[in-house]
Amino acid sequence: MTDTEHVVEAPGVPALAEPVAPLVGKRREALHFALRNRKVVGGAVVILAFLLLGLIAPLFTDHGPNEYVGPPAAPPSADYWFGTTTFGQDVFLQFANGIRATFVVGVLGGVLAGLIGMTIGFVAGYRGGLVDELLNMLTNIVLVLPALAVLIILHAYVGITSVPMQALFIGLFSWPWVARAVRAQTFSLRSREFVDLARLSGMRPIAVIRREIAPNMSSYLFMTFILLFGGAVLMAATLDFIGLGPTDVVSLGLMMNSAVHWSALHLGLWWWFVPPGAAITAIVGALYVMNVGLDEVFNPKLREM
Amino acid sequence: MHRRSRWLVAGVLALTLGVAGCTGGDDGAATSGAGGLPGPAGGGGGAYPRNETLYTSGTQWGPPNSWNPIIPGYAMGTVGLAYETLFLFDPEKTEITPWLAEKGEWADKTYTLTLREGITWGDGKPLTADDVKYTAELGKIKAVPYSNLWTWLSAVDVVDPRTVKFTFSDPRIQEWENWLYENAIVPKHIWESRSEADITTTANDKPVGTGPYEYLTHDQDRMVWKKKADWWATKALNLDVKPNYIVDIVNSSNEVALGLLLQGNMDLSNNFLPGIANLVKGNFNIKTYYPDPPYMLSANTAMLIPNTTKAPMNDVAFRRALASSIDTKKIVEGVYGNIVRAANPTGLLPVWDQFVDQSVVSQNGFAFDTAKAKKALADAGYKDTNRDGFVEGKDGKAVKLSLIVPAGWTDWMEAARVISAGAQAAGINVVPEFPDAGALDDARTAGTFDLLINNWAGLSNTPWHYFNYVFQLPIQAQQFSANFARYESKPAWELVQKLARTPQDAPEFKATMAELERIHLTELPMIPLWYNGLWSQYNTTHWTNWPSSAADTPKDLPTTWNNLWEMGSIKMLTQLKPAAG
Amino acid sequence: MSRYFGRKLGIYALTFVVAVTLNWIIPRFMPGDPVLRMLTRTSVSNPEAIAPMRTYYESVFGLDVPLWRQYLNYWVELFQGNLGVSVWLFPAPVADVIVRAVPYTLALLLPSILLSWWAGNKVGALAARRKWLDNTALPVSYALTATPYMWLGILLAWGLGIVAGVFPVAGGYSFELRPQWSWTFVGSLAQHWFLPFLSLFMVAFGGWAIGMRNLIIYELEADYASYLAALGAPRRLIRRYAFRNALLPQLTGLALQLGVLVSGALVTEIVFAYPGLGHLILQAIQNQDFFLLQGIFLFIVIGVLAANFLIDIVYVLVDPRTRTGMQGAT
Repeated sequence: MTDTEHVVEAPGVPALAEPVAPLVGKRREALHFALRNRKVVGGAVVILAFLLLGLIAPLFTDHGPNEYVGPPAAPPSADYWFGTTTFGQDVFLQFANGIRATFVVGVLGGVLAGLIGMTIGFVAGYRGGLVDELLNMLTNIVLVLPALAVLIILHAYVGITSVPMQALFIGLFSWPWVARAVRAQTFSLRSREFVDLARLSGMRPIAVIRREIAPNMSSYLFMTFILLFGGAVLMAATLDFIGLGPTDVVSLGLMMNSAVHWSALHLGLWWWFVPPGAAITAIVGALYVMNVGLDEVFNPKLREM
Repeated sequence: MHRRSRWLVAGVLALTLGVAGCTGGDDGAATSGAGGLPGPAGGGGGAYPRNETLYTSGTQWGPPNSWNPIIPGYAMGTVGLAYETLFLFDPEKTEITPWLAEKGEWADKTYTLTLREGITWGDGKPLTADDVKYTAELGKIKAVPYSNLWTWLSAVDVVDPRTVKFTFSDPRIQEWENWLYENAIVPKHIWESRSEADITTTANDKPVGTGPYEYLTHDQDRMVWKKKADWWATKALNLDVKPNYIVDIVNSSNEVALGLLLQGNMDLSNNFLPGIANLVKGNFNIKTYYPDPPYMLSANTAMLIPNTTKAPMNDVAFRRALASSIDTKKIVEGVYGNIVRAANPTGLLPVWDQFVDQSVVSQNGFAFDTAKAKKALADAGYKDTNRDGFVEGKDGKAVKLSLIVPAGWTDWMEAARVISAGAQAAGINVVPEFPDAGALDDARTAGTFDLLINNWAGLSNTPWHYFNYVFQLPIQAQQFSANFARYESKPAWELVQKLARTPQDAPEFKATMAELERIHLTELPMIPLWYNGLWSQYNTTHWTNWPSSAADTPKDLPTTWNNLWEMGSIKMLTQLKPAAG
Repeated sequence: MSRYFGRKLGIYALTFVVAVTLNWIIPRFMPGDPVLRMLTRTSVSNPEAIAPMRTYYESVFGLDVPLWRQYLNYWVELFQGNLGVSVWLFPAPVADVIVRAVPYTLALLLPSILLSWWAGNKVGALAARRKWLDNTALPVSYALTATPYMWLGILLAWGLGIVAGVFPVAGGYSFELRPQWSWTFVGSLAQHWFLPFLSLFMVAFGGWAIGMRNLIIYELEADYASYLAALGAPRRLIRRYAFRNALLPQLTGLALQLGVLVSGALVTEIVFAYPGLGHLILQAIQNQDFFLLQGIFLFIVIGVLAANFLIDIVYVLVDPRTRTGMQGAT
C-alpha cells in the first residue's frame, strides 16, 4: 500500500505535519502562535462559552430540567428564554443540561477512542511484523463496519442506559482511523535517529513510545482528539435522536427527539428543536475550526495562507 | 483560469438549482391542491379520485404483510372491511346486534344461530352454516388464538344451510357473545385445502370475504381497499359504504399523521396527536368527537400493574400507598393536555357506569394525596432507615422499583415520569425505564418486572372482560393476556366465572359486579389510572358527517383500529358524505 | 496488482465472516426470545397451546437443531439469499422486507454521496485559490459538516415542507398514486426524494469541500510544487497536479466516510418518514425482531464492503504509483 493511504483521514483531517525536535521550544512557540491564531482563539471561545453555560446555568435553578414549571408551549420570553415545551418544561434549562451531557460524551468518547487508536497504532507501527498484520486486520474490520449500525445492534442487545456507557460504546467503534494514522506516523518515526538512539541505549519499547515517539506527535494527537470529540458528539446526538440513547438524562439529541415526537414542527414550536441542533453545530463546528487553526500553528508552512 | 473557475461555480450552482428546478417543475405537474401542497393528481391515471377516497391512519405500524383474519397482526380492515363477524357490538346500547347472523337464541346449553339470507363471498359463493362450523372448529388447532373456546364448547352442528347449533359443556354467555362479535368467519371452500400450519402462518394475500371492500393493492407504506360491487348489507340493512377507496397509511410516526391531517391529505387519523386540542379550536377543519375536553371517547383503561409476586408489591398496604402517591390529574392535564380522562377508581370504562357501585367506591376508593401515602407507608411499617429519602422494605433492604413502559411511546414515557416523581415524593423510589416494546413484552409475559403500565382492558361487550383481565387464574409461568400482576384470589376468580355465565340484565349481575369492585379496590392488584382515548381526529375538507357528540350526527365509533370495526365503526363509513356534494 | 487485490479481498472476506458470525451469535446469546415474542403476539389464552406452539415456532425460526447446525444452516441459507422469517412482520421473509425498502435507501445514498463528493471537491479546490470563495465557502462548509444530519433534516422539513409548503415531508410518493410509469408518478417520487437527498448532500458536501481545500494547500506547499514553480511551470499546471494528488486522499476519505454516510441516510429517512431501511431498523429494534435487524445489518455491511472494494479499484486506476509499486510498503 502507499503512504498516502495511511496519512490522510476523514475530511477535515489534514495530513500530518512533520515532527521536529527540540520539543520545549517548539511548544512555547506553538502556544505563541496559537494565541494569535484567530481560528484557534475563536473556536476555543465558543467551546468555553458553551461549557460554562452548561456548567453554570443549571445551578441557578432549584427544579430539574424535566419538571413542568411554566405554561405549556410558550414562546421565548423573559421568564423562559427559550420558551417551554408542550408540557411546560423550561427549554433553556433542558438545553443547558443537554450541553453538559454533550461535553461528557464528547470528552469521554473522544479520549477513549483516542487511547485505543493510539495504543493500537503505536504498537502496530513500532513492533511491525505479525503484530502489525493482526492489528491492521482488526483495524480494517472495525473500520469497515458502519458504526451506527453496530451501535444500534449493541443497543438492541445490551441497552445503552447511561451517558458514560454511551461514550464507551461510541469510543469502542470510532478509533480505527486514528490507529491507521498513528501507525503510519510511528512507522516513519521509528527509523529516525533519536529513536534508534533510545533503543540502542536499552530503553524498553513502551518507554520509547512514551518518551520519544508520542511527544513528537503530541500536536497531532491533540488534533486527533478534537476531531474524535466532535465525532462522538455527533454520534451521540444521532443515537439520542432515534431514541437509542440514555433516557434518564437530558441530552440535546433527546430534546430534538421529543420535539419531533410531540409534533413541535407542525405546532410551530420552533424554539424546542432549533436550539439543541444549533448548539451541536456550534460546538462541533468550533472544534473543527480550532483544529484547522491548530494545524496552522503546528505546521508553519500553512501560516502564510 | 478566471473563466474556468467561474464556470465551475456556475456549474455547481446550476446543478443544484437544476435539480431543484426540475423537481419544482414536476411539483407543478403533480400538484393541483391549494397552496402548492402536494395534492391530488387531478384524476390523472393511477390516482384515486379525491372525492371518492378516504385516507386513514393509526392502525398499522408496519408494512401490511398479512390478510389472515385468524392470526392477529393482519392489515388494517382485514376483519371488518373484508371479513366479517356474525354479530356487531353496539357500544352505545352495550349489546350485540346481528350482522352476518340474523339471530341467535339460547336454549339451556345450546345456542342456535341463524344466518342472514343472501350473503355471498367475494367469489360469488354463498355464505353457509358450513363456513360457520368450519371457522368455529378452527379453534381445535392449538395455535389458533381462540382455541380455549373448545374447553367449554362441546359440539357444532349444521342443522340446515342457514342454521348452526352450538352445544356447550359450560355455557359462558358473556364470553360467548364476545366470541360471536370478535371473530371473523372464513370461507370453508377456500380454507379447507390448507394444512393446520398453513392456517396459522399463511399471509392469505388474496383475502376473499363477505365485507364491503376487497383488496386492491399495498406497498411498504400503505394499504388500499376498493369497494365491492355488491355488499349484502346494502339490500338487507340499507347500508352503503360511501368511499370507493380506502387508503390506509402506515404510521411512521404520529407527527407525520398530524402533518397529513393538517394539509387535508388525510381524512381520519386514529393516532395520538399531541396538541390536537389547540387545532380543534383553530381554523383547520379538524374535528374530534367532543368539541371540548376530553375531545375523545374512552377506549381502554391504562393501569399501573405491580408485580404482586415481589416484595413490597405483594403487600396491599404498599400498593394502596403507591396508588395514592400518583398525581393522575397531572398526567391528564400536563402530559395529555386534557385529551384523556382520569379513570374511575374501579377502572371500569364510562360505558359501564351503570354497574359501578358508588358506595363501594366511596368506601374503598383511592385518590391522590401524598401525605396520606406517606402515612399509609409509615403505618404499614415502611421506614426510611438509611435516610436517603426513600422507604426501605420490611426486611430493611433498600427498595428501588423500575417502572417500565415501551421506548418510543412518548405519552406513556412522560406519564411514567410523572408517576415516578409522585411516588418519590411519597418516599417510594420508583424509577422510569424505557426498554424496547419487545423486551417489555417479555418482562410482562414472564413476570420479571416490578411495575409497568398496560391498557389491554379495552372496550368490549361485557365488564366480565375487564375483571377477567384483572383476576384471571390460574397463574401460569407465562401470562400472555391477563392478570399480569399475578395476583391470586380464588374468591374473585369464582366471581369472574360466575359473571361469565350471568346475563347482564339479571340482578345477580350487578351484585356480582359490586362484589368484584370491592375486592379490586381493597386489594388493588392493578391500579387504574386514566382512560386512554379512542384517538380520532377528522379533517372535514373532503368528507363530512363524522361521528360526534352533537345532535343529529352519527354516534358510531370513529376509528379504523382493528377489532373496532366490529364494534360498529363499519357504520361510520356508511354515514360519511363527500364534502363536494 | 493481483497481490494487492488479493490482500484487500482477504480482509473484506474476513470482515464479512466476522460480521456474519457476530450477527449470528448475538441474538442467540442475549436475552429476548423470538418464540416468546410470537406467542405474546398471538396472545394465546389456552395454556395447553403454549408447548405445541413453541415447538412449531422454533421450527419456523430454525431454532430446533443444535447450535453448530444452526450456524451452518445460517451460512447455507445466507448464500441462498434466505435471511429467515421476520418476527415483527410474521410471516414475511426478512429478505423480502429488505428488498422492498432498499431502492429508497439507495436512491438517497448514491446520488448524495457521488454528487457531494464531486461538488465538494470542485468547490474545495476553487476555494484553495480564491480568497473570496475561501472566506465564504469555508465557514459555510464548516457549519455544514458540523451539522447533525437530523437537525438539518428537521430544519428543511420545517422550513420548506411545513412553513413554505413546497415539499412533502413524509412518504416515498404521494398517497394518492399507484406506482406506474407516468410523469405524475415520477414527479411525485422526485418531490418526496428531494428534501432527504438535499440534507444528506449538504452535510456531506461541507466535509468534502474542506478536505479538498486543505489538501490542495498542502500540495501547493509540497516540495514538488515549489520545485515546479522554480522551474517556471505555469501555476495552472501546478494546481492541476495538486488537484490530482489531492483527489487520492479524498478517495480514501470516501471509503472511510461510507459508514457515516450510511448512518446519515438512516437518520434522515427517519426524519422524513422515507420508506427505506432507516424506518425498518427502528421498528426492528422496537419489536425486538432480531432476524430483521440482523438482515438489515448484514445488508449494510455487504453494501459498505462492496463500495470499499469499488473505491479500491478506482484508487488503483487513478493513482499511477499504486499501479507499479503496490507490492511495496506494508
